[in-house]
Amino acid sequence: MNLPDRFTLFHLSVAVGAVVGCLLLVLGASPASQARTGQGQLERDLARRARVEFLLDAYAPVQQLADQGRVQQALMKLEEIGRRYPGEAYGLLLKGRLLAEAGAADQAIAAYAAAVRGNPDFVEDGAPLAARDEIEQLVNRHLEPLRRRLADGATGISARRTMEQLRYLQSRLAGGCE
Amino acid sequence: MPSFDRQFVTILLASALLGLLGVFLALWGNPDNSGICVSCFLENSAGALGLHHNERMQYLRPELLGFVLGALASAMLGREFRSRGGSAPMLRLLSGIFLMVGCAAFIGCPIKLFLRLTAGDLTTLAGLAGLLAGVWIGLKGLAAGVSFERPGRAGGSAGFWLPILALAGVSVYWLRPEFIQFSVRGSGAQHAPVLAALGSGLLLGGLAQRSRFCVTGSVRDTLLLGRRNPLLWGLGVFVVVALLVNLASGHFRPGLYGQPGAHLEHLWSFLGMLLVGWLSVLIGGCPFRQLIKAGEGDADAGLVVIGMLLGAGLVQAWGLAATAAGVPVYGKVAVLAGLAFTSINVLLARRAEG
Repeated sequence: MNLPDRFTLFHLSVAVGAVVGCLLLVLGASPASQARTGQGQLERDLARRARVEFLLDAYAPVQQLADQGRVQQALMKLEEIGRRYPGEAYGLLLKGRLLAEAGAADQAIAAYAAAVRGNPDFVEDGAPLAARDEIEQLVNRHLEPLRRRLADGATGISARRTMEQLRYLQSRLAGGCE
Repeated sequence: MPSFDRQFVTILLASALLGLLGVFLALWGNPDNSGICVSCFLENSAGALGLHHNERMQYLRPELLGFVLGALASAMLGREFRSRGGSAPMLRLLSGIFLMVGCAAFIGCPIKLFLRLTAGDLTTLAGLAGLLAGVWIGLKGLAAGVSFERPGRAGGSAGFWLPILALAGVSVYWLRPEFIQFSVRGSGAQHAPVLAALGSGLLLGGLAQRSRFCVTGSVRDTLLLGRRNPLLWGLGVFVVVALLVNLASGHFRPGLYGQPGAHLEHLWSFLGMLLVGWLSVLIGGCPFRQLIKAGEGDADAGLVVIGMLLGAGLVQAWGLAATAAGVPVYGKVAVLAGLAFTSINVLLARRAEG
């Protein structure tokens, strides 16, 4: 049997050495790596929790007014906070709730749709600040009457726009990969 | 009808299992109507590898690794593994990227198109029309002598590397290195158990390698051969099985509205899938087929896969991917850029052939 030449031996030993080195490093560093992974996960969980706490805190005055049934004042407060955080999704969710309570269904639906666009977690079961049930109820309450209105010849841009928003929420509630 | 030989039976078996597992993987935990979706899986995997930071789309999908490794095992067993490559590398890489752009505009690959359709999602009809049109245009190009294939493809060791990377990818599930991200919410957090997903991928990868089954390939060969094409029967079986399982599991909800992972911008669904069908014909297979070919040693397909992974990262990082709200403006721009890229290359290739 011919022994491999030095060129082959050199490259073979580099390859084998590098692979063995990789394995040793990966296996040897496993506990430390796991600790770092845990640290990374902790940081992500902390950031997520902090975000939720911050939002609840920032919008607490709105929630207090809403709890007292002072919907108009709550909406004004929300607008005031919204100037500081324009387009923030939780603020839009609160706006949807307040407008629904005030009976402004079309605007409420638009606000809910904008909120879900900004943060799809709102329609996810078990997510912090999730509002899946109330969004589902909103869609179920308004979809069929609006569909009938459109079928009966309602031609307003606003009705069609509201229907688009409802369809969007309906599709988000259905799930899927996106 | 084609003769009932071993190859035909393998096609029927592969396509039946694709329909069955395509629905069952969603029942086992994958997102609705996404039991199998190569483009969604690549977007998830690109996120897991840190190529984008959409926290809802990060998971290294075991099915993808299974497709490649199943094809590798099958090719090895059948003595069909052959490392080969070297044909139009830049075009393939960019085609891979634009394949993902087209899929992202539609929300899904050709397999998911049929899984969505068999779950009653009628918005997919625009995508189906686009896919048929794209394959037809691609065939016209092939008939005019255009192809991204080049003669004299080199051998070498390049074809081994994608299967090796897939093998390394499997280790992630127990090593859990810090740089691999796993979603804890959103569709990335919805997944079938790892072993079920990996096993399904291996099985389908092996059978797809043996049968050469591919959705766009089925459409292409049907346009060429008509009913004599065995892949057409495979496609039919895939659709029927998926439809039956969806019906039996109560997941068949026919309609245009309120469908999971769907939008109502039909023109862009059409154009997205047209791009996918067109490119798939020119590069010799849909995204799924590229994974299978990469598993059997085709480095050209491997480069398409790397392009697809890159594209999957880009469509998320740049916000090009469609959602239920529709296709973002730059997603539309990217689809048009993909169509321009394809048509320019067809013209240049035709000139070179002439």
